[in-house]
Amino acid sequence: MNQEPSASRPRGLSLSIDAWAVLIAFVIAALIRANLFPSIGW
Amino acid sequence: MTDIALAPPRRLPWPRRLLDLVPGILLLAAIGYLGKVIEQSIAAYGKAHALHLPNIEYVLWAILIGLVISNTIGVPRLFKPGVATYEFWLKLGIVFLGVRFLIGDVLRLGGVSLGLVAIELGVSIAFMTLLGRLFGLKPKLTSLLAIGSSVCGVSAIIAAKGAIEAEDEDASYAIAAILALGAVALFLFPLFGHWLQMSDHAFGLWAGLGVDNTAEAAATGALFSEAAGKYAVLAKTTRNATIGFVVLGYAIYWAAQGRARAVDNKALFLWQKFPKFILGFLLLSLLASLGFFDRQQTASLANLSRWAFLLTFAGVGLQTNFRSLRKQGLRPFVVGAIGEVAITILTLGLVVAADAVFVL
Repeated sequence: MNQEPSASRPRGLSLSIDAWAVLIAFVIAALIRANLFPSIGW
Repeated sequence: MTDIALAPPRRLPWPRRLLDLVPGILLLAAIGYLGKVIEQSIAAYGKAHALHLPNIEYVLWAILIGLVISNTIGVPRLFKPGVATYEFWLKLGIVFLGVRFLIGDVLRLGGVSLGLVAIELGVSIAFMTLLGRLFGLKPKLTSLLAIGSSVCGVSAIIAAKGAIEAEDEDASYAIAAILALGAVALFLFPLFGHWLQMSDHAFGLWAGLGVDNTAEAAATGALFSEAAGKYAVLAKTTRNATIGFVVLGYAIYWAAQGRARAVDNKALFLWQKFPKFILGFLLLSLLASLGFFDRQQTASLANLSRWAFLLTFAGVGLQTNFRSLRKQGLRPFVVGAIGEVAITILTLGLVVAADAVFVL
């Protein structure tokens, strides 16, 4: 296969930056859905 | 800036790596927040003194502060690992942004964007290839510049670098050129957008199609208006989704020339190159459209997206270093600049035509 490791993959960690972003976003979204996360203002 | 993309592997324990990120992330937060404070202070001063001061978004201040640091004293080594996380904050911000789109709008606008992206891709790649030949650039550097300017600045160049077996030096240069040109576009696009009295939809689409790097495209849209920033991200994300196809095309071309290895499993190749955060964006948009979150929860998620973008925009300035362009001379930069101007005009024409047909 002509593949290089994804450039956005942090070296030594098993998840790419994309996967981390999606994972963390959904964990926070689940916490917000369950009202376990403080309300965020801007 | 290219140190981040092409850095050799570091083997440190993960707690140490996480700790290394902290100073840079704090710097991103401080710069972004300072931009917000400057914006609010100017507005408050204007209000207190009954002055009509121009509303300059925090985005511009954050980028300018970053640019000044990067191009004068430089980013100290201590902060570099954390500053490089701006790509993570960008992707996190895009996934959260999903709650601000109804899935129907995503599909409709994404469909329009995809049609325009297809035209933009074909014309841009052909034009950049022709320019590279006219100016006598190395063929693989030309390929990288064509990929970077047609699809998606840095990610596409990095994805292509391994696939077409280009030299590190060419990839570093192509990345530097694309980021520097993107920084110029970032300031010029909103000026033209206001001058042409474009709508938020139309401007966002133009920024997403015309500005190469995702973070800079998002910042360009946000500089015009918050709504335009949202649409710029959507259009740019559609463009990003094509990375795999374009890189695969180039990989097959260079393999046929005997100057890169052949791709055995094309479906796997496409999946590996596909930006997965797009799936997160779509899923969150779908959940929000189905009423999975109440109003307060949706507002919190949308605000998290804004905070993540605030860190990203600070990183855009800190990552742009005009000095690194001097290393390879002026010719490739001129090719990139001519190409960018042509792509800017082309995408503007496409958006104006789409606006007339679809009423964006």
